[in-house]
Amino acid sequence: MDPALLVVWILRLLFLGLLYAFLWSVVRVLMRDLRSASKGPATALGRLVVLASPSGEPPVGAAFSLDAVVTLGRDVNNSIVLEDEFVSTTHARLTFRGRAWYVEDAGSTNGTFVNGSRIDTISPLAFGDEVQIGQVRLRLDRARP
Amino acid sequence: MTAAPAPAPAGALRPGFRLALRPRFRRRELGLLLVVSVALIAGRISLGVTQRAAAARLAGDSGPVAIVVPTDLAILAAYVGVLFAAHLALVLAGRRTDQILLPTVGMLGGIGLLLMERLPQTLAGSLGGLARTQLVWLVLSFALITALAVAVRNDAWLRRYKYTWAAVGVGLLLLAFVFGRDVNGARLGIAIGPLTGQPSELLKVILVVFLAGYLSENRSLLVEESTRIGPFSVPPLPYLAPMVAMWAMALGIVVVQRDLGAALLFFLVFLLLLYVATARVSYVVLGVAAALIGGAILYSRLGYVQTRVDVWLNPFADAQGAGFQIVQALHAFARGGLIGTGLGAGLPTIGGRPPIPALHTDFPFAALGEELGLVGILAILGLYLVVIERGLRIAATAPDEFRAILAAGLSLVVGVQAFIIAAGNLKLVPLTGITLPFVSYGGSSLLANGLVVGLLIALSERGAELPPPGPRRGRLARLGRLVDRGAP
Repeated sequence: MDPALLVVWILRLLFLGLLYAFLWSVVRVLMRDLRSASKGPATALGRLVVLASPSGEPPVGAAFSLDAVVTLGRDVNNSIVLEDEFVSTTHARLTFRGRAWYVEDAGSTNGTFVNGSRIDTISPLAFGDEVQIGQVRLRLDRARP
Repeated sequence: MTAAPAPAPAGALRPGFRLALRPRFRRRELGLLLVVSVALIAGRISLGVTQRAAAARLAGDSGPVAIVVPTDLAILAAYVGVLFAAHLALVLAGRRTDQILLPTVGMLGGIGLLLMERLPQTLAGSLGGLARTQLVWLVLSFALITALAVAVRNDAWLRRYKYTWAAVGVGLLLLAFVFGRDVNGARLGIAIGPLTGQPSELLKVILVVFLAGYLSENRSLLVEESTRIGPFSVPPLPYLAPMVAMWAMALGIVVVQRDLGAALLFFLVFLLLLYVATARVSYVVLGVAAALIGGAILYSRLGYVQTRVDVWLNPFADAQGAGFQIVQALHAFARGGLIGTGLGAGLPTIGGRPPIPALHTDFPFAALGEELGLVGILAILGLYLVVIERGLRIAATAPDEFRAILAAGLSLVVGVQAFIIAAGNLKLVPLTGITLPFVSYGGSSLLANGLVVGLLIALSERGAELPPPGPRRGRLARLGRLVDRGAP
């Protein structure tokens, strides 16, 4: 067989092989990435991040993983306890219904605010929205997978 | 070229574009880039040897053929250098961003460059041949990717001005109507003085940004409310308006610009994003039904749509005329077989031109299918799948809805475009003239796709800050608002 032809053949197959070598190494990285993501705690429906809290309880930067029904207030029986003098005993309720989050005021004295405007009925809450309860400001984030 | 970011005095740049020097090594990216450069150089050597062996055979020369000639590698070496320069800039910027996308699109761009080196250099391009011109555009594209990946820290300028972006998009479309330049019967390009370009490439990016803004703002309403018409549950009618507008725009592009590819791409991306935002299959079914009705109307009214479909159904009926491109492409795939003829060993050019018209822009997939075979084009499709996977992964980890929909949309727009043109080349769907992202020849396409990938890399940063949310508005005010609120 002609040696030049042989070299051409080897180089052809080498290029195709290297294409797949690249794909293989990418897929390996992707699989490792996916596996480490799936090892984490079971994904919650969302997170509430504390943006401002004058009393320091909860501290700024704290994040709460959310179940489908979350109550917020000063009473210790709430799922998230907010130690703030402007917060009512049971102040507001966050519920996850179907595919979206909702927030409603639970008859509080000082009201519940979404992105700066007071809500009077149950209203949808999108990820990235800010909720203000008393002097505590919280942001709804997507859960970290 | 990709310049290393220099520390800038605070306040010298617009907020959201902050540069800082804080190196952080990117081992995965470096490793993958090494594989990319070895593969591309092997490909270039293979191409050079094949071409010289063929030339020697033609000249009746049976002497030994040089395996490596240094001049072979000049263009490719410059390209690989640009990839590593981009990597260095990202290392110096020190952001914790995605490390897979740059090598993946680098591989695609390199394969495209190999193809351009193999084609007759007189096919297009003004800067000393096809490959050199493509190299210049690739350098600009990777410079854009790097600049965006380094400098974009904040997406407020994207999310806040979504209606402004939409207006820019409509403006581009109008420009195309007014200054349109007919290319092969389709009004794809615009030419204003010395500037030429394809607005639909930029338009797709603007479309994704607008849709991400609109859908993230109205997601909960689209998900929760529905209007009942008989047994069907349709989306809330006022919020259907953008969908109908989108449908009309897609049809408008087909009618006025004769650009079937862009219309198909825009509509598919719109439907996919609607599904990503709402997880409702019924919207997609509705959208597909609307598209089929629109398509049927266009088919019955417009001659060139009929031609496209008829050529798709039976290209051999007019193999020397309307079906020529498709027939030639099918022959190319057939010649390629399983592992292809080898780079540079495809069918020689006929009279100085490749056998398939518009090979370098619309049919690179067929040319690669001939020279790399089924194995090669499966690998190329795999590369596009990697881009989509990365985008969806970035979307899944995004902290809020705007970023999630934007990341999904940006990766899907590249992936869907690749699959539309690949399927068109393979006669799986009617052929539409759009480019294969990062592989096809052309500046508009490379720059627009560079914009997409640069934004994706910037969006992938972990632990990124979110901008404060704006005040919530009434529904009617939100729908009727045409002017964006200014910066706070």
